[in-house]
Amino acid sequence: MSAVRSTLVGAVLATLRRDLLIAYRRKNDLLNPFMFFVLVATLFPIGVSPEPEMLGEISAGVLWISALLASLLAMDNLFRADFEDGSLELLMLSRHPLYFLVLAKNVAHWLVSGLPIVLVSPLIAYMLNFPEGAYSTLVLTLLLGTPVLSLLGSIGVALTVGLGSRGLILAVITLPMSVPVLIAGTLTVSQTLEGASLSGYLAIMGAMLVASFTLAPLASAAALRVSVN
Amino acid sequence: MDWTWFHKWGSPKWFYELSGKWLPWLVGAMFTFLLIGVTWALLFVPEDYQQGLTNRIFYVHVPVASISLAFFPLMAMSGTVFLVWRMKLADVVVKVAAPLGAWFTALALASGSIWGVDTWGTWWVWDGRLTSLLLQFFLLLGVVSLRTALEDSEGAARACALLSIVGCINVVVIKYSVDWWNTLHQTSSNFTLAADQANGPEIWLPLIFMIVAVYLFFAISLILSTRNEILQREKRAQWVMDLVAKS
Repeated sequence: MSAVRSTLVGAVLATLRRDLLIAYRRKNDLLNPFMFFVLVATLFPIGVSPEPEMLGEISAGVLWISALLASLLAMDNLFRADFEDGSLELLMLSRHPLYFLVLAKNVAHWLVSGLPIVLVSPLIAYMLNFPEGAYSTLVLTLLLGTPVLSLLGSIGVALTVGLGSRGLILAVITLPMSVPVLIAGTLTVSQTLEGASLSGYLAIMGAMLVASFTLAPLASAAALRVSVN
Repeated sequence: MDWTWFHKWGSPKWFYELSGKWLPWLVGAMFTFLLIGVTWALLFVPEDYQQGLTNRIFYVHVPVASISLAFFPLMAMSGTVFLVWRMKLADVVVKVAAPLGAWFTALALASGSIWGVDTWGTWWVWDGRLTSLLLQFFLLLGVVSLRTALEDSEGAARACALLSIVGCINVVVIKYSVDWWNTLHQTSSNFTLAADQANGPEIWLPLIFMIVAVYLFFAISLILSTRNEILQREKRAQWVMDLVAKS
């Protein structure tokens, strides 16, 4: 052990680096949310209709719902492995505020599971006959919205991390909470198509991001203290 | 400042005895208000010129819907009290309020649907109010299922208190975002509460009676289920054993 006492920034960066490294080493976890997103989006043309016009109309919703479900599925990885091998307890014993460490874990998790989805979304959007002229809005809203989904989801994960089988209960807790993001995201896209000014909508999504970025880790950290004894 | 009044709430036994004294009065008051309100609303209020007799469900739907909005604030407040002062009674309230709130919300949705089928011609529309109430219903069920899933009672209590606080904030956000969504996508003009035209005292006075009756009913249900939960939790305490031996 080195005698150097770690700084807060150092601890946050170390957590970030560790989580990214683990994700990189476990490439399956990296690929699964991405694959899930693509698969769910594929189900809609098959299940609803392959008609390009119909698809174009629902494509924004399809992409957002697929992103929501993929983020929900990926949430399970956020604390579980760390909880099982005990490193989560070590993280909580650290003398740094848990708030920042949870935030670092959230950021790492989003970089691994959310960002790839945002990046691939234009491709899937093209396949769904997404209306031209709203691609940049779609990517921008997903870029602002998916971190909110992760941050909200992490509260649910933190509450249920001690449970054996929690897939469904996590969904029951998290999905209703994600509705405002879904509404804001799809509305922004449809308003772009109608030619409305975007600044207000993007400001609201940005406000959601800022609010959840500052508040959600507080709840997640408190929930972790409840779940992990 | 004297805090004894506050610390008394920490004793389930004290609450049990006090609420036992309140209950007959509350029940009596509820039945009085209910009897007056129901008779007035169902028999003497003039028929709505458009909706006819159907409009009378207004007197059930509005009180039930308004009380169902009170559950998340109630649970969040009790949850905060529990987290801050570790007051057992507050957790009992969080626990019993969740299923009760789900019932009231379901009742509000059901009475609204029955009203809607005659006035809007459909059981369900994705209107802002309906959607936000439905989501609140799901959130309450989430709190209930979290409580069931976490068997450890202390951990479950804290987790549910936390989820109630988060849920309370979320219900507000959902409410605003859903209204925003709906107002942009409004397709029909008859989504607003239709009773606002020319509502004189003969319309709203019976409503006041019904609101008071339903609020009393809510208080009674909450107290009864709280008492039940207290007895279950304190079943090894001497005073509960004495109580059982007496009865």
